[in-house]
Amino acid sequence: MDLENTKAQMRKGILEYCILSVLSRNSCYASDIIRELKEARVIVVEGTLYPLLTRQKNAALLSYRWEESQQGPPRKYYELTQEGREYLDDLDKSWDELVKSVNLIRSGKKSKTT
Amino acid sequence: MKLTISINLGGYSFNIDEDAFAELKRYLKNLELHFAEEDSASEILSDIESRMAELFKVKLTSYKQVITIADVQQAISVMGTPEDISDNEKRTAGDKFSSPGYNRMYRDPDRRIIGGVCSGMGAYWNIEPWIVRVIFLILAMMGGLGILIYLILYIVLPEAKTTSQKIEMKGDPVNIHNIKESVKKEFDTVTKKMKL
Repeated sequence: MDLENTKAQMRKGILEYCILSVLSRNSCYASDIIRELKEARVIVVEGTLYPLLTRQKNAALLSYRWEESQQGPPRKYYELTQEGREYLDDLDKSWDELVKSVNLIRSGKKSKTT
Repeated sequence: MKLTISINLGGYSFNIDEDAFAELKRYLKNLELHFAEEDSASEILSDIESRMAELFKVKLTSYKQVITIADVQQAISVMGTPEDISDNEKRTAGDKFSSPGYNRMYRDPDRRIIGGVCSGMGAYWNIEPWIVRVIFLILAMMGGLGILIYLILYIVLPEAKTTSQKIEMKGDPVNIHNIKESVKKEFDTVTKKMKL
């Protein structure tokens, strides 16, 4: 077993969920999303984000529009589609369940050992 | 004094040192290879280019107007190498191409004399192509059998065109690292040729 590998696998699943969560509040462009994910420490290298965004866009969970920017070329602003919102609701539910299950198992293990 | 190159990255224009340019180009090429199997590879790549342009933009002031190799290396460490991006997927990604040590016979266009059959066979068995050529020549002189076999092999064997095929031909396992080495080698020979 490789600890780093396990950690990376955990992060990867959660990352997709986090991107949708960030976008559920308001539409953002990629660098905004990166800032939030970096602050929350769910992302290590930025390059991980772009293939995920594109995949989610291709799956019709996200859409994007071009917006003018004062600092330079137009930016791509991503937002959730209706389908994306439903998808996120589902993920929210399964996340809550997961946390509950994991906590149950962890606390159960503790009471046995003590 | 250093030569700078003017580039368009994500819609911004930059002046970039020659060595920094080579580094950036190599990095983007690696990413391109990494995402090659993705449906929207070009879209992902252009998003990454835009982001790198932003990272470069904040490096420039009125005192510093040129992107240096240190800037490029820093941007690469922020964006991550293809290996970082795929996290630990690289094992499965390597398997997808072929298992380690597996090689196929191709015609080698880089070392060919007629059609690259002998050099390809040499690469396959890891022997000097000259040995194969001599055997073919002897067979050809003994009633022309060599010519017939050569013609059949020429038709049957595919030419190693892509980087991954060339690696497969030499029997190295095909993974991102090998491809990177080959691309680097190719890139270096091209730059050497340009300098001559």
